[in-house]
Amino acid sequence: MNRPHPLDGFEDDIRDHIERETQENIDRGMAPDAARLAALRKFGDVAHVMEQTRDVWRWLWLEQLLQDLRYGLRFLRRNPRFAVVVALTMALGIGVNTAIFSVVNTVLLKPVTYPDAERLVWIGAYDAKIRRDFVWTDDFFDWRKQAHSFARMGAFGYQQAVIATPRGASQSTGVYVAGDFWRITGAQPGAGRLFGEEQDCVVLTWDFFQRAFAGDAAAIGQTAMMNGRPVRITGVLPKTFRFQFPMWWAAAHPDPVEVYLSVPRPGEGVAQSTQVVATLKPGVTAAQAGAELYSLEAHLIQARGGRDYGMTALHVDPLAEQLGGSSRRALLVLLAAGAFVLLIATVNVANLQLARATLRQKEVAIRAAVGAGRSRVLRQLLVESALQAVTGGAAGLLLARWAIFVLVRISPNAIPRLSETAIDARVLAFTLAVSLLAGVLFGAAPAMALRRCNLHDSLKSGMRNSAGLGGLRLRRALVGVELALAIVLLTGAGLMLKSYARMTAYPPGFEPEKIIVMKVRFVQREGEEPAQRATVRELVRRLERAPGTRAAGVSCWIFGRGLDFPFHVNAVSPGYLQALGMKLEKGRWLTEADTHGALLNESMARQTFGEVDPIGRQLSIPRPVTIVGVVASVKYSKLDAEAPPELFLGIGQAPDLYGVEIAARVTARPAAAIPLLRQLVADVDTSQRVYDVETLEQALAQSIAPRRFNLFLLGGFAAAAFLLAVVGIYGVTAYSVAERTREIGMRMAMGARRGQVAAMVVREALPVAMAGIGAGLAAAWGLARVVESLLYEVKGSDLQTFVLVALVLTFTTVAACLGPAVKAASVDPTVALRYE
Amino acid sequence: MSTKGEEDRVELLQGTLDLLILRTLLFGPEHGHAIAKAIERNSDDVLQVEQGSLYPALHRLIKRGWVAVQEGVSENNRKAKFYRLTARGRKQLRVETTKWDKLAGAIGRILRPAGEEGVP
Repeated sequence: MNRPHPLDGFEDDIRDHIERETQENIDRGMAPDAARLAALRKFGDVAHVMEQTRDVWRWLWLEQLLQDLRYGLRFLRRNPRFAVVVALTMALGIGVNTAIFSVVNTVLLKPVTYPDAERLVWIGAYDAKIRRDFVWTDDFFDWRKQAHSFARMGAFGYQQAVIATPRGASQSTGVYVAGDFWRITGAQPGAGRLFGEEQDCVVLTWDFFQRAFAGDAAAIGQTAMMNGRPVRITGVLPKTFRFQFPMWWAAAHPDPVEVYLSVPRPGEGVAQSTQVVATLKPGVTAAQAGAELYSLEAHLIQARGGRDYGMTALHVDPLAEQLGGSSRRALLVLLAAGAFVLLIATVNVANLQLARATLRQKEVAIRAAVGAGRSRVLRQLLVESALQAVTGGAAGLLLARWAIFVLVRISPNAIPRLSETAIDARVLAFTLAVSLLAGVLFGAAPAMALRRCNLHDSLKSGMRNSAGLGGLRLRRALVGVELALAIVLLTGAGLMLKSYARMTAYPPGFEPEKIIVMKVRFVQREGEEPAQRATVRELVRRLERAPGTRAAGVSCWIFGRGLDFPFHVNAVSPGYLQALGMKLEKGRWLTEADTHGALLNESMARQTFGEVDPIGRQLSIPRPVTIVGVVASVKYSKLDAEAPPELFLGIGQAPDLYGVEIAARVTARPAAAIPLLRQLVADVDTSQRVYDVETLEQALAQSIAPRRFNLFLLGGFAAAAFLLAVVGIYGVTAYSVAERTREIGMRMAMGARRGQVAAMVVREALPVAMAGIGAGLAAAWGLARVVESLLYEVKGSDLQTFVLVALVLTFTTVAACLGPAVKAASVDPTVALRYE
Repeated sequence: MSTKGEEDRVELLQGTLDLLILRTLLFGPEHGHAIAKAIERNSDDVLQVEQGSLYPALHRLIKRGWVAVQEGVSENNRKAKFYRLTARGRKQLRVETTKWDKLAGAIGRILRPAGEEGVP
């Protein structure tokens, strides 16, 4: 079918030419060698001739491409509605992919900008209960002394800090750092110096230095009060310094870090768990380092009498992986989901093109007949669809820009570095490649259909064009594929939605929308602790009598030590637990009089005492306390994890009181109650600073921002896929009815009833649709494992979700066929038969 | 077959080779070597064609659709590529010939005005 290219066999042609000339020369009486030489001389430079001849053809493809593009543009100009539908469909598919790829590009593909980035590792033990990594702080210091696999090892952790500055005291977000943290991050001081192993030092970030100290260089090297303790400001970080925290860590502490502190003194409440980053020695693999740490840790556990502190689930991973954290898996799933949407859009456009191809058969046949050559015509069709796809891609780019803007606005903290997302050269290349690929894919369908059709017949067959049964079958099959893809996305979104519902299903009595939380920091100076305690007592007293509140109280987080697992210790006033709606399971509440009493939550009670009744028993944290009661576990700080083991003390037993959190369950609207509460705090002491005022519901929502982000995106993708699939099935059915108007008219003329005709239309559409839905369900079932880690208390193979999605899709499919079916039933046989 | 001395030979004007090829093919399909020979012979060896330069010209003509290639068997029973004038090529030849005649006439008139008629 393809004509050979004129250059095919060109070398033979030249050889033949020279042989003939040689033969002629021999015939004229020359010696063979001389004859050949003469022939060659006469011919000229063979290589040059070949080169010149090839040059003749070299730019042909470009000329043809330009010509094809002109044809394509002309076609689009003549069919503006078709062009717009195709462009919009592709814009949706490509826009979705561009947006998600920009995020992936920023978060996963851009390298970490630290020295020896490829040797950086994250070390942590995974706590399945709180779904977080941690390292027992003491172990970190032992590793740092004893492990040989690491060139550098550093630790960091969250630490609230109240710093008294020339502009007054300010509550700031602090991170304490230890070990080789500075060398690992490659930080250089912008001014002053970075602290080493010494204590009571702070390094300010550039922004904080400007804000709190007005960029006054005299402040560097000076002493300031932090958390009521003098500390030395050793230096300021440059404006460009940014530590990249793991995803989950950043999600839990969304505020930008303002100060970096030296390791807290023991009395300051050293966390028993910390986060560890390290640089491997050159040539050491993460696995080897992990093996060394395992054996080292085994010795440490043995040395402390077998208490493992949960440090057995130790893992060493490349830091880059950990920074993406759970967002990595989520982003890859979203990327795949985006590809599904694009595939569905592509299939839809292919279907449109197929319908169009029937109409264009004759045009193509004529072009082929006048000598364009079939391959040339097919190529022209592909160029045309690539042009359409690139148009769609350009529109998709605009859509993606807008989508990124919206994403960054609605959940800036859902994914680390999300706010840095931008459309760069790599994203543009991706969009172009995807557009071209999609264009070739949806252009291939009509090209194949046209290739198969007989030119002669097309030219002969008069006025009616027909796709024939083969074309329709292909289009139905494509719709089946669409439905299968859509169902995979819908089940994924359904499972996430169900997880979300599970997460936000609060136990009865817990009404976070009516609970106002706020934090208060004291500007404490040394020696004023008794006064501070008096202030807290006064605050509690007023809160308990505050009008419009059902219950209110204060709490203060402190660090518990001494048990072989991490747990929270929270010093609370009685009203605090009631404000949260905690239910007493056993024993009694704490009272003001309890100086050694403690309450446990269920999780803590189970973990410490198992089945034994804890009431009246003693715990050493390390101060001995007596258990007076057990309360039900309530998730009031994080929604997507079990409530952590927690122990409550009376507020009077808190060792330090440099700040408290207030919780108040109000009867009025929260917006109306908040000013009253602020006033109440100000009445007690005007110097106290109040911040993070919000309802508990808002605070909790923040804790699942990444999940909301995933749900939002996957839900959006699923909705787009669903819409496209429904349009697809409607289009094919409507088209088949339109095409067969005559046949339907004939059937009705021969006595078929309208109901029968309508049923026939639906019946014909259903089998492939059902097969598609079935295949989609099977695929979703197979992929269940992939999404499982993104779910919460829902299995990847959740039957309810699958059944519901299958029902919704079946119902919609039938509904989409109904319109065309009704149209078929209303065909007037006399008109239909006269038509044409 | 006579061979003229070097000084008697004339280099081809740009573009005229195309015309000669088309003209040669008017008598029927030929292979490359035969075309070259025919041009030499018919011009009594005055026109010097470096035989190789025939090929880029041929392919230019193919590209324009004036000449087509076909496989064939030569007089000595060997497989060879035959170049054939297409219908468009035939038309083009007419156009080009007319153009050439006009051009040659005009140049002739300039070089030999009516008064000098007959002067060599």
